[in-house]
Amino acid sequence: MPEILAAEGLSKHFGGLIAVNKVNLSIKKGEVAGIIGPNGSGKTTFFNLLSGFFPPTEGRMFLFGEEITHMPPYQRVMKGMVRTFQLVSVFNSMSVWENLVLSGIRFKERYTSARKFFFLSTKDDEIQENCLKALRLVGLESHASTLTSELSYGSKRLLEIGIALSLNPKLLLLDEPLSGLSDVEISEVLNLLHRIKSDLTLVIIEHKLSKIVNLVDRLCVMNEGHIICEGNPNHVLCDPSVRECYWGKEEIDQGLLQEKASA
Amino acid sequence: MNEKKTSSLNPPSKEELPSTLTNFQRKEYRKIDFLLIAAGFLLITPILSVHRVTDFMIFCIFAMSFDLLYGYMGRLSFGHMLFLGTGAYSCGLFIKYVSGNPLIAILVGIAVAGLLGILLGLIIVRTTGACFALINLAFNHIGFFLVLSPLREITRGEDGFGVSASKLGFLNFSSRPIMFGSVLLCLLLVFYLLKRLTSSPFGIMIRSIKEDETRVRFLGYNTFLYKWITFVLAGSLAGLAGTLSALNYNYVNPNSMDVHSNVGVVFACLIGGAGNLYGALVGGVVYMVISNFLPIYIHRWEMFLGFSLLIITFRFRKGICGYLLGLWEHGAKKRLIERSAEQGVAKI
Ligand SMILES: Nc1ncnc2c1ncn2[C@@H]1O[C@H](COP(=O)(O)OP(=O)(O)OP(=O)(O)O)[C@@H](O)[C@H]1O
Ligand SMILES: [Mg+2]
Repeated sequence: MPEILAAEGLSKHFGGLIAVNKVNLSIKKGEVAGIIGPNGSGKTTFFNLLSGFFPPTEGRMFLFGEEITHMPPYQRVMKGMVRTFQLVSVFNSMSVWENLVLSGIRFKERYTSARKFFFLSTKDDEIQENCLKALRLVGLESHASTLTSELSYGSKRLLEIGIALSLNPKLLLLDEPLSGLSDVEISEVLNLLHRIKSDLTLVIIEHKLSKIVNLVDRLCVMNEGHIICEGNPNHVLCDPSVRECYWGKEEIDQGLLQEKASA
Repeated sequence: MNEKKTSSLNPPSKEELPSTLTNFQRKEYRKIDFLLIAAGFLLITPILSVHRVTDFMIFCIFAMSFDLLYGYMGRLSFGHMLFLGTGAYSCGLFIKYVSGNPLIAILVGIAVAGLLGILLGLIIVRTTGACFALINLAFNHIGFFLVLSPLREITRGEDGFGVSASKLGFLNFSSRPIMFGSVLLCLLLVFYLLKRLTSSPFGIMIRSIKEDETRVRFLGYNTFLYKWITFVLAGSLAGLAGTLSALNYNYVNPNSMDVHSNVGVVFACLIGGAGNLYGALVGGVVYMVISNFLPIYIHRWEMFLGFSLLIITFRFRKGICGYLLGLWEHGAKKRLIERSAEQGVAKI
């Protein structure tokens, strides 16, 4: 399988703190990769580097074989790499469908015309249908006209994923898509992820290991800025160094661990 | 491979659209809005005077251009008068030294103000918050100084100079009613342009930039470009207001670039309600009425402006129009709930 994303010796220093330390990682087309690790191990910082939020202290990145180390974030998005944020980031002052206008029109050929961008009303059928399509995908179509700030946290998360999906990504980076959600909301998001995973490449940061173990093809464990272990989920969970770094952490499901170990 | 995903979702037909959405599908601008605005200005002319109301409308154009920048994109500028002054001076100088044709002079004024916006925007637009406000102020000071001192030979310094545009057929700008009509037409055109712009995806873009610019970058947009476009547009429209005021007064002096007058347009947007074109219009008129008539009765009238600003910031956050709109929406929601409750009863 061809490589979509590659990081080579990627590091990020914050003053004396080394948040990401010489990480090498490659993501293959069509796979679902999970990144786990204790709090403060540098997972979000790693995503920030990949998406261009800030430049790396050292190292290089490649997207579809092209170097993107110094590419501004918006160009990376246009190349097909889209991310979500650990703290849900949607536009609270607008209604739900308005949140989807910018993402929905950007990647449809017929909207590249400047005339439409500047003068076509957003109440136009073409735009509305695009928004609704994305809303349907994440199951929020009944909330189309709701003010986004009135949505529950789980719905906002779904909306954020909907925005990301309407950008037509080839590679989607999800930063803790399940954090802060109730069990019902978690299963909604998981359902969505299972539905879309065949169409794109996914990289998911997550604490709730037991929830994503069935979703991911490959698991990478980060600790103190390093990737300490990567590979098949079952194999990774049995790795002694992973168990050591996670030992006693409530995030990991003990029962699951034992089950995998005995298997 | 993404085709699969989208093709499984057939585009929804009209009937399938959620009713909540269709309820909100009213047209963004209606003919009645234009009639109302025109009627409003016409109605106050007998009370005030044609010349005064023309002045009010020019200020309203200026306030709308400021609202695009501040109300919609969330960039507060303390130097917007620079563009008004640039428009006024370039229009006046063109008429004085080149040609008396008022229409070309107006276009020249808009173009020069726009060009200035293009150049300054390259620097200014990169900043936000206090920095944005103060850099604008700094450039406004520079402009004011240039007009007063180094360029005194052509701008006549503090005295300013007279502007007498030539007649173009019936278009005689020294006739008060013709001036009134032309300014009203310009105001309606600017209103139409901004209404369309702000209700298009571009409008959502600048509102998104106001709320969270970083997020917009991660939607694949080069936000700098859109901020720049908005800045240039706001500058050119302020320039238009400047050219009209030069023609209305037949006179240009450094007051048109006065740094202190920036306060007025900020007040106007806050009183009327920022981020709302009607707000800019209402606020513009209210501010002009206050600043024109209060000084007749009260010597230190600025104090009352201060008090009203306090009341607005603490009680009416969204200004007059925002407050009324809120009341109306609240009522509409209540009626909707009542109606659905009635229907529920009817079904049972
Ligand atoms: N912008 C920043 N400036 C300074 N330090 C930062 C910044 N972002 C992250 N850090 C530091 O880098 C380290 C890694 O943080 P990061 O957010 O990447 O962890 P994480 O693995 O995502 O943790 P969590 O599971 O809590 O989300 C932390 O010690 C954090 O304090
Ligand atoms: Mg994190």
